[in-house]
Amino acid sequence: MYQLAHVDKKFPGVHALKSVDFQIGRGEIVGLVGENGAGKSTLMKVIYGAYQPDGGQILIDGKTVRFANPRAAMEQGIGMVFQEQSLIANLTVMENIFLGYEQQFVRFGVINWKAMAAAASAQLAKVKLEIDPATITSALSFAQRQLVELAKVLTLEERVQGDLVILLDEPTSVLAEDEVKLLFKLVRELTARASFIFVSHRMDEVMELSDRIYVMKDGAVVDVVARGEKTVEQIQHKMVGRNVDKEYYREQRQIPYDAGRELLRMEGVSLPGRISDISLTLHAGEVLCLVGTEGSGREAILRTIYGMRTPLTGTVTIKGQEITRFTPRNAVERGVGYVPRERKIEGIVAGMNVYENMTLSQMGRHSRAGVLRIGGERALARDWISRLSIKASSELADCGNLSGGNQQKVVLAKWRSGGSDIMLLDHPTRGLDIGAKEDVYDMIRDMSEAGVGIVLVADTLEEAIGLSHSIIVVKDGAIQKRFDCQPGAKPSLYDLLHYMI
Amino acid sequence: MDFQRFKPHLPWITLLVLIALVGVVDDTFLRPANLLSLAGDIVPLFIMALGLTFAIYIGGIDLSAQSMANLITVVASVYLASMGAWVALLCVIVGFGLGMISGYVTTRLLVPSFISTLAVGGVAFSLAQYLSGQRALNMDAMQRDAVFGWMIGKTGMIPNELFIAAGLLAITLFIERRTTLGRALKAVGAGEPAAAASGLNVARYKILAFAISGALAAIAGLLFSVKLSGGAPTIANGFLLPAIVAVLVGGTPLTGGVGGVLNTAIGTLIVAVIRASMLYFDIQATQQQMVFGLVLIGAIALTIDRAKLRIVK
Repeated sequence: MYQLAHVDKKFPGVHALKSVDFQIGRGEIVGLVGENGAGKSTLMKVIYGAYQPDGGQILIDGKTVRFANPRAAMEQGIGMVFQEQSLIANLTVMENIFLGYEQQFVRFGVINWKAMAAAASAQLAKVKLEIDPATITSALSFAQRQLVELAKVLTLEERVQGDLVILLDEPTSVLAEDEVKLLFKLVRELTARASFIFVSHRMDEVMELSDRIYVMKDGAVVDVVARGEKTVEQIQHKMVGRNVDKEYYREQRQIPYDAGRELLRMEGVSLPGRISDISLTLHAGEVLCLVGTEGSGREAILRTIYGMRTPLTGTVTIKGQEITRFTPRNAVERGVGYVPRERKIEGIVAGMNVYENMTLSQMGRHSRAGVLRIGGERALARDWISRLSIKASSELADCGNLSGGNQQKVVLAKWRSGGSDIMLLDHPTRGLDIGAKEDVYDMIRDMSEAGVGIVLVADTLEEAIGLSHSIIVVKDGAIQKRFDCQPGAKPSLYDLLHYMI
Repeated sequence: MDFQRFKPHLPWITLLVLIALVGVVDDTFLRPANLLSLAGDIVPLFIMALGLTFAIYIGGIDLSAQSMANLITVVASVYLASMGAWVALLCVIVGFGLGMISGYVTTRLLVPSFISTLAVGGVAFSLAQYLSGQRALNMDAMQRDAVFGWMIGKTGMIPNELFIAAGLLAITLFIERRTTLGRALKAVGAGEPAAAASGLNVARYKILAFAISGALAAIAGLLFSVKLSGGAPTIANGFLLPAIVAVLVGGTPLTGGVGGVLNTAIGTLIVAVIRASMLYFDIQATQQQMVFGLVLIGAIALTIDRAKLRIVK
């Protein structure tokens, strides 16, 4: 019923969608997978009306349509549940649900709040969320907000004649396992009302939920897989275009670190309200994982090492020198590199090109008396673009236009090209897909072999266990337990969880 | 045509269209002598706009520029007699120093720059009133010609101000494109958190941006006082709005990070043409600020980077 025929989309220097055919039937759940940069985001934006295709047609029930903007698409029954949630935190749930469509409740210029609350409750019932619609949105949990978001999209049901298509972009990325189960159950029930397009990096979830899966690579649909037709490995093979290594976390490449060379030592470091009495050491070639729940103090430890926070008590010693002034500048000069969690905000400068981003932390090295040697910078960027196979049209490409994985590579290249040998990685694989994740794992092993000490806050426990030489479990700002992780003798998930909670 | 791709070219197209329009209406306009004298007259404003570009490039604003120039006309007039040519250095130092204060208040005390520079502008205005005794001051014509006469003469048919403008443009363009300072300012304008997380001393660069803005406003004030052979605490009033217009019409948006001093050069020429055309179209001086106000609103509406204000997925 909803169909894309030979849809093309081009951006300067990129052919983002190449003659994509896509269709979804009534009540169907269709999965959409692909690596970062494969064109998933662009395809979704075409579907919900944020982008207009350069070629091809969009058909609803066989009739050609054209959406000028997302609102026009909504009026045809296409709704989007955003990954970065689009709810406004300081409004009530009902205000959010009917944001932009309050007119139906207005009498003599005044909103009839009771009527709106009743209507909102009806919407919330569709997603089985029993909360007061007058609740301020910021008081809700992530999972609840996700459901409110879905309820908001489901208001289309009353507004629109015809069928609904709802896009779910990474809906599970912030949910716990049982919440994911509930969401899936709900989505299956809602297929009586709408069709769903489900986009996720978690292949097992896509396989579980979807009736059919569209596999994208390099802007084209390379395969359409019906439920149960192929295994996870086969689909990943299609996506990546090569075999996915069974040794996902590169454990076979883990070599013992140099225990004789200490790079970093923290002794009794405390930041009131964040961390207390943290003592740890990092050696050359060691991958040290900090494991803990959200808010356990992992990020505060990284930021203290990087000099963004000044500890109240305790000492930080980098390569034998005790730090007295805590500033990032100081840490960078001692060879510390920081890959922050918020890649798009703190990692790269959108609007600056690849070489400008790569040398941002080390301009002193590429200048004399404050005058930059741009030729040298560009050569360095070209070198690292080919070393890390960064997908960018050239070193002059705007970093803001690169895909997430390639942005992360630019951030890593920034520090590695400057010779940083203490790397602080905060969720380096967050939001990346398999291929890009594997590239990051390889780079971590490369750095480890080159004698770089790495402090890692991993995205998942499996990742932490797989990558690390040692694990430190942090809870409520204090170290609970230290594990050695020799290949073949790694702690289990259960071992870690036991100390985390 | 995609407006986003067209946008970077908007300033110079606007300039050409305006010149053509005015040229058609008034056939004396396009004579080289007329164009050169127009360009020469706009130089003090251009220098001020050049400085403002640095403040706006990092995403801030410098509302003290006009008061700064006022103060400097007074300082130059008062101290020319006793200091001779060294008064130029004094002027630049005063501008640089007051700019640093704005920057310090903005970065260390976390006062938004539109307030901090407004406040520093107030201080500068008061200083000017105090120094001048609230009177218009005159320079000694002989001494002015001896010390600064080279600034306002003509070489061939080209006003000397244009050489000063070209020199300052070259220096600021070099700072912007070729130095670590320029790169750092771009990073701060385009993505301050990432600049900070890359180990840049963001506060120091921001303070420098305001200091440069102050120093250039001072040079603008100095040149203005030399041209008028005197100074007064309100003599440069009416500069601020057109200077901001020049920066924004040139294509450096209030959100910062793109554009730069070359854009400001084009923006200033646009302002010069608008100003000249108002003479031809008989718009009185009292109404000119109204026109600039309207142009400013239009320029902001067209140039502001909504990607920085909108939540993008």
